[in-house]
Amino acid sequence: MRKIFLAIALTLGVLQACRTPYDPEAPSEKTSFLVVEGYLDSNGLRSELKLSRSVPLDSLTAFQPETGASVFLSSESGESFGFVEAEEGSYWFEADLLESKFYTLEIVLRNGDRFSSDPMKPIQTPDIIDAGFLRDEEGVEVFVTTQGDENADDFLWTFDETWIYRPRIRTNFIYDPAINDVRTRTQAEQTALCFRSEESPDILLETSSRYEEQVVFRQTITEIPTGDERIMERYSILISQKALEQDAVKFWEILKKNTEDIGSIFSPLPSLIGGNIHSVEDASIPVIGQVSLGVIRQRRVYIDLVDVSPWNYIDPTFNDCVIEEEAVMIPDYGSVFSGGAIVPARPLMVGTTIVGYFPVTRRCSDCSLYASPVTPDFWEDD
Amino acid sequence: MRKKLLFFSILLSTLFCQMSFAQQADRITGFFPGTSFTRFVEIVERETSYRFYLKESDVKELTVNLEAKQDKLEDVLTVIFDKTDLKFAISKEKEVFISRGEKLVVGFPTDYLLRNVSAESSAMAQDEFVRNRRYRVGVPGPGTEATLTGVVTSLENQKPIDGAIVFEKESQRQTITNREGEYEISLPKGNQTLLIQNIGGYTEQRLLDVQGDANLDIVIGEGVFSLSEVVVRSGALSNVSRPEMGVQSLSVNQLKKLPAVMGEVDIIRGILTMPGVNTAGEASVGFNVRGGAADQNLILLDQNTLYNPSHLFGFFSAVNADMVQGVELYKAGIPASYGGRLSSVLQVTPKSGRQDKIGGSGGIGPMTSRLSLDGPIGENTTFVVGARLTYSDWLLDYLEERADLGASRAKFGDFNSSVQHTFSEKDKIRASGYYSKDEFQFDPDTVYSYSNLNYALTWTHYFNDNLEADFSAGQDKYDFEVQGEDNPLNSYLYGFDITQTFLKALFRHEKGDRHIFTYGFHGIHYDLNPGKIDPLGSESIVIPDDVPRETGLEASVFFGDEFEVNEKLTLSGGVRLNWFGSFGPQTLPDYAPGEPYLPENIIGETNYADGELIKSYLGPELRLSGRYALNNWSSIKAGVNTMRQSIHLLSNSSVITPTDTWKLSDSFIKPQTGVQYALGYFRNMENNAIEFSAEVYYRTMQNLLDYRSGATLVLNDRIEQDVLLTKGKAYGLELYLKKVTGKLNGSIAYTYSRSLMLTDPTEMKEQVNRSEWYPSNFDQPHTANLVLNYELSRRINTTLAGKYSTGRPVTLPVAKFQYGGSERVYFADRNSFRIPDYFRLDFSVNLEGNHKVNKPAHGSWSFGVYNILGRDNAYSVYYIPEGGKLKGYQLAIFAEPIPFVSYNFRF
Repeated sequence: MRKIFLAIALTLGVLQACRTPYDPEAPSEKTSFLVVEGYLDSNGLRSELKLSRSVPLDSLTAFQPETGASVFLSSESGESFGFVEAEEGSYWFEADLLESKFYTLEIVLRNGDRFSSDPMKPIQTPDIIDAGFLRDEEGVEVFVTTQGDENADDFLWTFDETWIYRPRIRTNFIYDPAINDVRTRTQAEQTALCFRSEESPDILLETSSRYEEQVVFRQTITEIPTGDERIMERYSILISQKALEQDAVKFWEILKKNTEDIGSIFSPLPSLIGGNIHSVEDASIPVIGQVSLGVIRQRRVYIDLVDVSPWNYIDPTFNDCVIEEEAVMIPDYGSVFSGGAIVPARPLMVGTTIVGYFPVTRRCSDCSLYASPVTPDFWEDD
Repeated sequence: MRKKLLFFSILLSTLFCQMSFAQQADRITGFFPGTSFTRFVEIVERETSYRFYLKESDVKELTVNLEAKQDKLEDVLTVIFDKTDLKFAISKEKEVFISRGEKLVVGFPTDYLLRNVSAESSAMAQDEFVRNRRYRVGVPGPGTEATLTGVVTSLENQKPIDGAIVFEKESQRQTITNREGEYEISLPKGNQTLLIQNIGGYTEQRLLDVQGDANLDIVIGEGVFSLSEVVVRSGALSNVSRPEMGVQSLSVNQLKKLPAVMGEVDIIRGILTMPGVNTAGEASVGFNVRGGAADQNLILLDQNTLYNPSHLFGFFSAVNADMVQGVELYKAGIPASYGGRLSSVLQVTPKSGRQDKIGGSGGIGPMTSRLSLDGPIGENTTFVVGARLTYSDWLLDYLEERADLGASRAKFGDFNSSVQHTFSEKDKIRASGYYSKDEFQFDPDTVYSYSNLNYALTWTHYFNDNLEADFSAGQDKYDFEVQGEDNPLNSYLYGFDITQTFLKALFRHEKGDRHIFTYGFHGIHYDLNPGKIDPLGSESIVIPDDVPRETGLEASVFFGDEFEVNEKLTLSGGVRLNWFGSFGPQTLPDYAPGEPYLPENIIGETNYADGELIKSYLGPELRLSGRYALNNWSSIKAGVNTMRQSIHLLSNSSVITPTDTWKLSDSFIKPQTGVQYALGYFRNMENNAIEFSAEVYYRTMQNLLDYRSGATLVLNDRIEQDVLLTKGKAYGLELYLKKVTGKLNGSIAYTYSRSLMLTDPTEMKEQVNRSEWYPSNFDQPHTANLVLNYELSRRINTTLAGKYSTGRPVTLPVAKFQYGGSERVYFADRNSFRIPDYFRLDFSVNLEGNHKVNKPAHGSWSFGVYNILGRDNAYSVYYIPEGGKLKGYQLAIFAEPIPFVSYNFRF
């Protein structure tokens, strides 16, 4: 939408579009509301319910966890399923629910405030028919294909991305002060293979009844522009498909409108956001959050560099990275390598003997500075 | 009313009357034995051609005791006035002026007046002075009628003007000049106002005191300049004396003096300089009148309704200003003959073709060029055609190399035409048409386009001197389309359109001196396609979907009367009875009685056959206003009017955007209704050079449309499930000061206004802001407008225009939170904040070409700077997540001074 605006401004030739920072007077209203987020799987998959509080706009962090709450899901027939607080503000749920029953989420905060949800019924999310990717001149487009049915018309997709992150220069050597020598790195010490992960920041919604036979064909999940870091070697995306009820669609649409679409000339007005959670004592206390019950369908897609090349990933911040031409000789190991900022990269051989190492800066060779060196459990090599 | 105005101006003009004197013999014979002087005067006037001018009180006691025999009048009067302090003077035209104390002495050359009238050909001859001076013509003689002859010549080239109309307003006598510019008209003796009109051009006026047969040559400009001067004058008088209130007029010449964006004269920007008219955004053509929504304005181009009065998303008005004679905006006091919208009527009067020759005008600016032609075809037919086109594509191509614009394209054009044929003195027919088209794309995959198509046929018939009628029929079409071709599988064509067919009969009947009746019928048939999506291309799997077509019929009968109760009090009022019916074919859900319109409350559905009446609404609209003249220069007006509106714009954003679709009233959406009370004080000062008005108003509105949070308006076939029952109220004060004449002229307008909305407490779906009053999207309490023109010379005219207004309300975030993997915002109550105030100054200089004889074309240049202070007025403010942080921005559209230049010409 901002592009539209820009185009209009430029259409008019000399007009200058001006976007300047804006800080209105801080409103004095209450700004701390309970925020509840979660799609609880009804088939026993472990799923997360996040409890937090909203914060003023000028706060440094947006996530203020609500800890120490007691949370449970109760069915209309009186059964109760508890939640376990696994991390601060993150409550885990793991239970098999009956599709035919209504369930209510109950939350009691540390301070005794009580909240509950509207009655919810689990939705049987249809399976993902196909998930894959397409390569075009712009880059790669990851898609999903599914088919809605009479119970599940609207879908929300979320995704988790993970990819291999390599340093510009890989080294398998490490200086070990204990032996005052350079040796080969152990698996735990490796700095050449790392993984970066990101949660989806986008809200992807689609209504299947818009299409013939409710087939949502090749719905774009994410687009990766050519040369992007994510496909520097191997990339993985876990697509979660969640069917939503009508009210939840409205909630997610408002959430989407309030953030992604606002601010351009043709944006709709932002709307008040609510959800299906209410204060038990005082209905006028705002609560943000829409909790849904249903089956989460997942599909993982891998993309290798060879599938998409030429890709031409290059990070210019590392363009100065080279292995030094002057080797560090054995007597200098301690003085050069013990600081950690310079690491040995390639051996200097005289005959069959290593007499020194050509060094490289750690910045250029250690991927753990930028990503996690631990291979995720789910990761599969092809 | 006109007559009255004229009379008023004559009164003023006589103050400036000049008189000349001469002595001439005409002998007196008779016996006057103590005859009263008054009787003596009667006898002399009967027997001779002398005319007496005196004050009754001066000669009340005076008697005449003498016998005269072929005596000179001077001698007789000298005897009579002996021993009194009465003095007399006798003019060459045998006018006898009697005064007390001092003798009247005015030493003008004897031929002063005639020379002034006929020989002067400089531009100065055309000034107000000439027009408002009363000329005495002819030599007194017996009889009550006199014949005036003369030649009408052009100011520009001194050639006689063929076909100029010479008419006298009071006696309704008229004639037309022949090929040599000669005319002959017979007039009653006494004070007369002669108007000489060169059709399509200039109207000249001469105030005459007709004494006898005379020769009167008149020089008249062919240009359009003076047209506006006449308009301004009548506007000045009508400001105080017309019974309606809340009416703003603008002539195209006034519009042309306003600084233009990109050199385009823009009618809606002109309207925005008036008090009580505002716009929520800078680039918005959707304007708000007295706290009403933009769709509550009826925009009429002649008889046709314009659904989208803008080009390029609102940066330009859709009507080419070259094709416009003037605009009138009714904010209150809307005549009964208009209806269908809640807030205002903007009547755009198109230019009609001139009768003397084919001519034209045009202009070249950085964005657009325009050309229009008008003139006669044969003796009784005239035409006007005009077109305007953009050539912005070259600009985009040029820019594309320098900016990442993708494949942006924008183009628009419009075309106006009308033909008028006069069958006889009693019948005229006019056919007119308008077409506009916009097309733009901002990325290579999506093309937006929309068009207006309007045409109408109007037959004017004069039954007799007192009754005339206009019968018109026509059609107004508007359609909007989006083509999305992002992906062959998802390619679509979305659009909506509206076709309205109308029939209107308007009678105007002068009943006696005191009543002017207007009555008639207005019927509109609506055929509305609220939204439709189709797959585009053979591969697309998009399912065709549409909101079912809506059909409606609106019929109104109206009667209005302008009643002059007495000299002081004039009442204007009317009733309009409005019926609206919604017709099948349609399938509508049945909601459980008493339950809100929500999906869960649907208990069945009803099918309506083609043409079957689904629901109808009948309601009267009342228009009443009165003017009480405190004196000749000030009046008080009051009015109340009620309005109804059966067609609604579904818009969830603050400004009109083309994607907003229309909706007819149906079983669930009732017609909007409103009532406005207004009171005003009007005063003209300094001989009408300064006009002042103060108006206050209070409005209430029912059945407005506001929407649930996050409502989707596009392709929503159950919109009633998202509409909240909303009431509105608006009130305000408007102050307006205008100086119409002089080298320095202009206007200052200040408006205080509030516009508030309330979700009806009975609404069960959602209550915006807990069902408390909240500001509407266009509630801008303080607005001030300034327009200053300074005419350095007749050819150089400079204008400074300024605008200030309170920032419009916005809904701002007050808190943030983490959700769905990103930082999100929580918004405060609807419209509880405001964007920063708006202030802008524009400056322009208009340079007219010279008025040399035989120039093939007259050109003018317009230079200027828009937003000369370069203030970055916020259009909107918003927050977006950037790198996981929420950042607030304000967006300005014209953040820098924007210079422009355009060249306009006419021939």
